[in-house]
Amino acid sequence: MGGGGTWLIRRIAAAAAIVFAVVSLTFVSIHLAPGSPFLPPPDRPLDTAVVARLNRQFGLDRPIRVQYVLYLKNLSQGNLGYAFSRGQTVRSALATAIPDTLLLAGTALALDLGLGLILGIILAARARHATDLILSNVTLFIYSVPAFWLGLVLVFVFADWLHWFPAGFPTSPGLYESLPFFGQLGDRIHHLALPALTLGLVGAAGTARYQRAALLETLGREFVRTARAKGVSERRVILVHALRNSLLPLITLAGLSLPFLLTGSVLIESVFSWPGMGRMATDAVLARDHALVTAIAMVASAMVVTGSLVADVLYAAADPRIRERAS
Amino acid sequence: MNFRVSLLAIGALPLALGCSSSGSCKGDYCGTVVFVTANNPKTLLPPVIDNTGARDIDEQLFLRLADFGMTINTVGDSGWIPRLATRWEWDDAKTLVFHLDPRARWHDGVPVTANDVAFSFDAYRDPVVGSSARNSLTKIASVTVRDSLTAVFRFKEQYPTAFYDAVYQMWILPQHLLAQVPRTDWLTAAYGQHPVGDGPYRFTSMTPGQTYVLTADSTFFLGRPHIRKLIWKIVSGPQAAVSDIVTGQADALDFLGSPANIDQAKKTPGVSVVPYPGSNYMYLEFNTRANGDSSRPHPVFGDREVRRALTMALDRQAMSTNIFGPYSKVPPGPIPQWWPIWDSVRTIGFDSAGAARMLAARGWRLGADGIRMKDSVRLSFEVIFTSTSAARMAFARLMQAQWKSVGVDMQIQPLDQNLIRDRLVSGKFDAVLQGFNSDPTPASGIAQHWVRGAPDDFSHWTNDDFDRMVTEATSGTVSVKQSRGYWRAALNIINADAPGIWLAAPDNVAAVSSRIADLTIRPDSYWALAWTWRIPADRLIDRDR
Repeated sequence: MGGGGTWLIRRIAAAAAIVFAVVSLTFVSIHLAPGSPFLPPPDRPLDTAVVARLNRQFGLDRPIRVQYVLYLKNLSQGNLGYAFSRGQTVRSALATAIPDTLLLAGTALALDLGLGLILGIILAARARHATDLILSNVTLFIYSVPAFWLGLVLVFVFADWLHWFPAGFPTSPGLYESLPFFGQLGDRIHHLALPALTLGLVGAAGTARYQRAALLETLGREFVRTARAKGVSERRVILVHALRNSLLPLITLAGLSLPFLLTGSVLIESVFSWPGMGRMATDAVLARDHALVTAIAMVASAMVVTGSLVADVLYAAADPRIRERAS
Repeated sequence: MNFRVSLLAIGALPLALGCSSSGSCKGDYCGTVVFVTANNPKTLLPPVIDNTGARDIDEQLFLRLADFGMTINTVGDSGWIPRLATRWEWDDAKTLVFHLDPRARWHDGVPVTANDVAFSFDAYRDPVVGSSARNSLTKIASVTVRDSLTAVFRFKEQYPTAFYDAVYQMWILPQHLLAQVPRTDWLTAAYGQHPVGDGPYRFTSMTPGQTYVLTADSTFFLGRPHIRKLIWKIVSGPQAAVSDIVTGQADALDFLGSPANIDQAKKTPGVSVVPYPGSNYMYLEFNTRANGDSSRPHPVFGDREVRRALTMALDRQAMSTNIFGPYSKVPPGPIPQWWPIWDSVRTIGFDSAGAARMLAARGWRLGADGIRMKDSVRLSFEVIFTSTSAARMAFARLMQAQWKSVGVDMQIQPLDQNLIRDRLVSGKFDAVLQGFNSDPTPASGIAQHWVRGAPDDFSHWTNDDFDRMVTEATSGTVSVKQSRGYWRAALNIINADAPGIWLAAPDNVAAVSSRIADLTIRPDSYWALAWTWRIPADRLIDRDR
């Protein structure tokens, strides 16, 4: 096996270790938190005998190390447990939520990279001009704004005030089912617009600043000066010669964006009632839904380390120097 | 294309892509009502539901033997409307006989029988099932079957709310579908995810955490519902629900909350704002025993006069108005607006100078930092409340400011709801700011908190006279008038002792689409009568067809 293969195996092993550590820490911390998934709401009488019986029935009264071993045993058999806060198995709950989270995060990532790239090119092409100054400050402002706050502002302006967009949720219940295919597609895009824009805009502002710096650095290189000396148009110099050589940081950024998008989605999904993993995680923590919280942490950490791993592989594929060092 | 045009283009995308409904329903039996709520049902199996979201859905899926009229009378059996039972009679003072409607069917076609009634009582009373209604059924000795359409309730004693307990606490369950399901598994039973009921609507589909869809049962024996489809949409919080109403994504929201939300709904075309008597009240409960040590009195709240002084120091009307605008009243006790015992109750009025004098008289002298002290103990305590409630946070801040002006130091401690329950059960708290969504009778609401040994008696306050008045109001053959008299006497006693401060009883203000005609909201269960609503043919929109 070559050096590249060994490197990949080492990375996969490290990724698995990280996921295991996250699962273990989450399991312990959520079980140590006070409360029970079986507590009635505050305005219903508390029947401690019933709560104790349910805790006993589902093994929550056992020592935590016993529960942990049992959990790992079940996990090894693909049994993720029962999500009490949802009234369904954890597997079913995740199967419902993951596609919605991926749709939101994927769209936001596309917006982040696409818009960020375009803005970065404009900023670099107009460096030290008024456009650069204005756009740089605007992107800095958006980058420094908490995503949930931006989400609330967008809801207020575009949903509550202008009524241009719904305030989230994946579809229009009652209407969606009766629409033809393209109507359903339009309804989904309509509902996706504000949450994706919120997550994507904040990311794009950061991406634009990285891309500006990378492109400016490339534009100062000798091969660019040579191209200009040959009389190549400035547009071609930037878009063909310089841009390709300044895209490497974007690959790293794409890998790093995934954790940002997943953590950001916890709040954004709550703001927009988006039924993905983020909102489910918030509800599960509040409901002390041990099995669901642990499973969400496992899936989220697996997504993050996979994203990071893919970014590393792509980076190595794009940059021969990295490949050589790895081998 | 500039930014605004781009946004408009995305906004108009559904239309551009053919967003016209393919539905073709016309006439009086069309219509879809989308209810928006933040309460996500975990199960729809009635004895184990635990929130109002599940209750609202079950109201359409299941029937009781009889239902409230709009008077919400819980004493005796006047004003009750037949549902599964066509009629009832008292064989003697402790024996109530229900005659079932022979037309009643489960949605799978099986007739509803008296066996289902007896089975339901047994299930609700079974501690293994763990129904929260179990404690309300303790005075019913048995439910037996006289014949397939006659169920007999025998009570252990004669008491004013016997009929209410017999019919209101239980939805009747299908024995043929549930008898084989082990009761230990009812919380997670598959039946709870796709129930078969006997009500005006059939369960159609659900996506947990997102939507629940019911379809009208065109063969419903009490009359075909006009609205074809009911959808419950689960959103992440109250503000998201308001946005759904404003943007027309939903048709009905039971509680608008803040005055700003109410004003916003009023200004929204096509939305009607409907006030109805509130079932909720907010209050501060004192722990009369020491924080974490119930064997000793609390150094501050163990003293009745100090509790009274603290009550006196608060301008509750101003606080209530500040937070809820004109949509709230200060209750004369731990009671919501819909309990008819508001008049002629003695309460403690606002008098901050009097409060300061009372505290001084009890030995609490002002210290150098402006906070009172007594025997080296500062007049300081912590108030806990759930961190997700903006109204409770607002009350906490206003109380803190007013108490500070009379030399009282109050620490604000918002907490996670689970943590609050934990602290309440273990007695590790000074005072808790709570909201209580009551059921229709003080007999269970007050008894749940304030009577000695009650399941939620976290204050450890006791008063024999109060307990006696509650017993008088809830037992024997008292009339409605006598019962209210006893309740008023009980409220006078609890007000005089001040184990809590009753802060606000907000109006419930619902927002409902103006498309809906024949709108009736029953205060105890806002959407219970949705099966009697209709949307006239000339008001149908795309999602109705």
